[in-house]
Amino acid sequence: MTQTPTVQSRPARAAVFGAGAFAHAWPFLALLVIGLTLPLFAGGYWGVIATRACVYWVLVAGLNLMVGFAGQLAIGWVALLTLGAYTTSVLAAGNVMPALHPYLALAIAGAIGAVFGVIVGLPALRLRTFYFAITTLGFATIVTQIALAWQSVTGGGVGVPGPIFPAPFDSQWGFYYFCFGLAAICTWMTMNIAASRFGRALTAIRDAEVAAEASGIAKPALLVTVFLFSGAVAAISGGLFASLQSYITPDAFTIDLSVLFFIAILIGGRGSILGPVLGTILLTVLPEFAAPLVAWSTFLYAVLLLVIVLAMPGGIAELIDFKNRRPLQSNRAIVPRPDLLPRLLGTNRDPGTLTLEQVALSFGGVHAVDGLDLTIRPGEVHGLIGPNGSGKTTTLNVISGYYAPQSGTAKLDGVVLPALVRHTRARHRIARTFQTPRLVGEASVLDNVMIGGTIDGRGTFAESLLSLPRHRRDEAMLHETAMLALATVGLESLAAVRADRLQHSELRFVEIARGLMLRPAFLLLDEPAAGLSAEEITRLGAFLVAIAKTGTGVLLVEHHADLIFDICHHVTVLNLGKMLAAGTPAEIRSHPEVVNAYLGG
Amino acid sequence: MLESIVSSGVAIGCIYALIGVTYNVMFSASRVFSFTAGTLGMIGGVLGSLFILRTGMPIALGFVLALAGGALLGVVTEIVAVRPVLKSLDQHLYVLSTLALALIVQQYTAIEWSTEPQPFPRIFDIVRGGFDQQYWLPMLACAAVIVGLELLYRHTLVGHAFLAIAEDNYAARALGLPERGLRMASFALAGVIGALAGFAGGQLLLAFFANAPLLTFYGFVPVALGGMGNNRGAVVAGLILGLFQQSANFLVGGIFASVAVFAAFIVVLLAFPEGLAGAPVQRRV
Amino acid sequence: MSMTRRQALQSAGAAVLASTIAKPAIAAKDPILIGYLPALTGPSSSTGIGINRGVQLAVQEINAAGGIDGRQVELISRDTQSDPTKAVNGAAELTRGQKVNVVFGPINSGEALAVVPMLARINVPQLHPCWVDSLTDAKKYPLCFRNGPTNQQIGGAANRYVVETLKRKKVAVVSDTTGYGTASVIAYVPMLKTMGAEVVYEGNVDASNPDVKPEMLRMQAAGADAIMPWSVNAGFLSRLINTRGQMGWDVPIVGQTTLGSGQTKALLDKPEYWAKVYPNNFRPVCYGANGSLPDRTKAFVDRLRSAKIDMSDTLLWWIALGYDAPMLIAEAIKNSGSEPEKIVAYWNKLKDFSGVYGDISFAPDEHNGYPDKQIVMVEANSLKDGAFNLAPGYGAA
Repeated sequence: MTQTPTVQSRPARAAVFGAGAFAHAWPFLALLVIGLTLPLFAGGYWGVIATRACVYWVLVAGLNLMVGFAGQLAIGWVALLTLGAYTTSVLAAGNVMPALHPYLALAIAGAIGAVFGVIVGLPALRLRTFYFAITTLGFATIVTQIALAWQSVTGGGVGVPGPIFPAPFDSQWGFYYFCFGLAAICTWMTMNIAASRFGRALTAIRDAEVAAEASGIAKPALLVTVFLFSGAVAAISGGLFASLQSYITPDAFTIDLSVLFFIAILIGGRGSILGPVLGTILLTVLPEFAAPLVAWSTFLYAVLLLVIVLAMPGGIAELIDFKNRRPLQSNRAIVPRPDLLPRLLGTNRDPGTLTLEQVALSFGGVHAVDGLDLTIRPGEVHGLIGPNGSGKTTTLNVISGYYAPQSGTAKLDGVVLPALVRHTRARHRIARTFQTPRLVGEASVLDNVMIGGTIDGRGTFAESLLSLPRHRRDEAMLHETAMLALATVGLESLAAVRADRLQHSELRFVEIARGLMLRPAFLLLDEPAAGLSAEEITRLGAFLVAIAKTGTGVLLVEHHADLIFDICHHVTVLNLGKMLAAGTPAEIRSHPEVVNAYLGG
Repeated sequence: MLESIVSSGVAIGCIYALIGVTYNVMFSASRVFSFTAGTLGMIGGVLGSLFILRTGMPIALGFVLALAGGALLGVVTEIVAVRPVLKSLDQHLYVLSTLALALIVQQYTAIEWSTEPQPFPRIFDIVRGGFDQQYWLPMLACAAVIVGLELLYRHTLVGHAFLAIAEDNYAARALGLPERGLRMASFALAGVIGALAGFAGGQLLLAFFANAPLLTFYGFVPVALGGMGNNRGAVVAGLILGLFQQSANFLVGGIFASVAVFAAFIVVLLAFPEGLAGAPVQRRV
Repeated sequence: MSMTRRQALQSAGAAVLASTIAKPAIAAKDPILIGYLPALTGPSSSTGIGINRGVQLAVQEINAAGGIDGRQVELISRDTQSDPTKAVNGAAELTRGQKVNVVFGPINSGEALAVVPMLARINVPQLHPCWVDSLTDAKKYPLCFRNGPTNQQIGGAANRYVVETLKRKKVAVVSDTTGYGTASVIAYVPMLKTMGAEVVYEGNVDASNPDVKPEMLRMQAAGADAIMPWSVNAGFLSRLINTRGQMGWDVPIVGQTTLGSGQTKALLDKPEYWAKVYPNNFRPVCYGANGSLPDRTKAFVDRLRSAKIDMSDTLLWWIALGYDAPMLIAEAIKNSGSEPEKIVAYWNKLKDFSGVYGDISFAPDEHNGYPDKQIVMVEANSLKDGAFNLAPGYGAA
């Protein structure tokens, strides 16, 4: 009798509430206490510096979602700071229309900032990373130049006085508390987003875009939402900045400042809130420790950035991530629990049939898929095999919408599946895995699996921002479902571990768990057995059979002939884009052409 | 008047085009864009002024040393900012590492050299005429680089090797080409081209640390519009940019001119994200 | 019997009280702290570098002579790097952190616009040489004084020279895109029009623009017969001068004092290009009709030479202004006291303080101290040891 592997069967829940939450939150509480009591131990000078750090953090909190979470490198975001500063100042001073109350001016600046956040951010949807970074630099210059040129409104080079907020915020410490309060609110809001399906979706877009699309995440809509938020808080930060400076001129809004914001996030670490908070504080305070440092400040920031990128790309967040330094148990085995599948997937599902009719797709002169018919029935495991280059993965990509066929259609239950709108496949409950596992390495295994259920969340971005009840219900639901999905693949003990610490075979099962979050009608697997040991392949096979038994249709693209013949109800063999043979495993195994072309003697 | 726009527009356009070529050479060797391209241009001008004016070297020697300095910065870029991040899964780290290196060099120059534009020497001791050397030196440099690169790529073994690495990295390595050495050589070459741009343009731009961000942006426009890795496209786009900028300066003047250039660039780029010539789509899945 | 805790605390408290009462006598020997906010690096640093040399010399001389009432002067400086954000941080540190008695600076208008309201709120006396008109206001900023000219004064002198002395009617007014530059153009164009001149060109040019020829051609096409540039950026000014020379366009350039600085001269293609360039300057530091400096200035220049202070790459009046500032501060503290209200009270009554740079006078409702009549135009290419000859057409005093 074999030794049962030492894996806990009881799920190790990473607590959403309770002790785990406090471990996560105590640094923020400490900062809160320090910030509130600052006047007791710091003089007026450090008060100015602290106020400045709070003002910067309001902007960086929003920018963090764009840069740190969504991976959109907006280096020139100072454009929004300039815009907000001038809008607030001009409205409060009454240059264009009767002077408005500073709070109202600030709010309007935030609204205008939201709109411009979308304008400046929009190129990200169309351009590559580096190109987008350059366009944001262009915007930063444009805004400054307009501020310079539009003399009648902005005062041109002479500038305008900044707004003065009414008592009790008009004294030095009063204004500090105002900025601190806004900074605290921004911290809370972005923490909520980070722990929501939107935050996870952003990291998915950043690190595993194809997987995000397959999970139903619509990149444009989500990014626009983030641009709105980032633009709004950046503009509000601008209004506060103008008040702190008492007077603003275009030459205060330098690219150096923009670079500071950007570097603070990268030093802090992507996908983190605490890291960038500490990064912002560090970069604001650092030059003040020695007068000569002021001249070298941008040099220092750049050196810090280079060191971080080369030595510790995870930044401060990685440095303080003690949880993920704890060694993992070696000799882990993956023991799926197919018996849990009915609870996860439900029963009584009748999604109809998935068919491909005469699908043809060529790349240049190569006929990747040449008039293929395929039928995948629910409750069956359908194998798709063939030599390299026969079009297996291409077929799978056509079904999941990554390629548009030049002729022919893919249909679900008789209804045509539109090509190229990949993120809608999730709504049709079509899930898939990828040839190389596409996961967010820096996120935990649990977070990665929860990404699979993104479309089942009901709450809006705003509700997540404010941690309203529907957001919390969504989170609890996704948490529970994801833990269950992990339990079915036998990996619940690794839920809190960073995904990039896992072995390759474990990652494959995590991808499957993510796919199962959709309670899929059809599960498409692209060579899931690659890199698995023989024992693991056997378990995988049994697991896939169990999935099919609950009513899911499984399409298995594979090279491992044994696996195919063991578990498939139906096998299609492709060669050079055409169907060579189709039938039961027994029929295929003895089919003379198949043996010649593919299986060998 | 027209003559002025044309001569200064083509001259500055050639400088932008050369920086675009610098970007392209680095891109071909490594598939990354480096923020240090503009900094290389700045260094060419600063080193030229440093060696020839401040330390009093003969012009030819100062020229060679300035180019050598560019080559050195190019190699440093490869070793420090590009090679370490190519290994990582996250391709976008290169944006950060090259940005950091560019800022380090720029800030150091600003503090140690000067924050003000410093004079750049006159290269040829000829009387200042209408079509002055400050205009035709960049054009000469651009032509020389284009012809030189053509010869290199088409007629030398090293050039063929560069092309191979650019076309298909894996295949080239499989053939036994020393990828790392070739990449370093490419970056050194890019460094020389960038420094040459700064040196040839020194009389126009002066020796000024703030040329770096200026050239980083304006030097990238030819790449974006001409197509990644496409040197001919870069030259054409660079010339168009130079002429457009100088026409705007003349017609509209000052502030509005730069707004016009930036805005036009962003609009054109959004309409043609792969450049006006287009580029092949890569497989994502 | 041992002391109870209560008794120990009481005696400790008494000791503390005693030492506090003893303090004032010791405090009288504390140094006088002058906060100083120069821009020593950055795009607008040429002025700051020159002024700095004068400031340092003045402080050395004061301390060598025993200080002010036996108290040494300590100069605490924070380089603003021509950046308003750093200027505000620096001002906060000097006033709230170091608790200086008085602040000299910032030197550039862009930074001063942010710092002046801030220092007014903290009640710290401030002396600055910036030119933008709105930087003093006896009502809004009662503790802020200007020991230099205003934009109105400078522009007035330059405009009068162009229109009345040179008799030019079609003027091109050009500046860079800094706060100072754009404010100057906004101020001077209406002034020229009131004097009956026609402003045929008015523009702000990005100082980093490598080629100013299109702008010059537009000026020429508009029929300009005088060019008036307003910028402290030597690179920008030198390009204007060089392009005029390359075009062979015979038109006077009349304007900002930096036109005559050593830095500008270094960037010229040919020394001959510097002819017919008339920057503004100040009579006390110019050569008179007899070719020599006023006595006080001559003595000052000798002291500069023996202190090995370089004049060739800057302007003498910057050094002189920098020198006069600590002297003005020392004067106030010596005669009145080092508390803010005492310094301000003294300055409010100051009449004809004879500085090397000029004779400064203030009044309770007038915090601009430099006299109109000492502002003159000079001939740039007469530069010798940082000083100039008066421009042609200037009569005696």
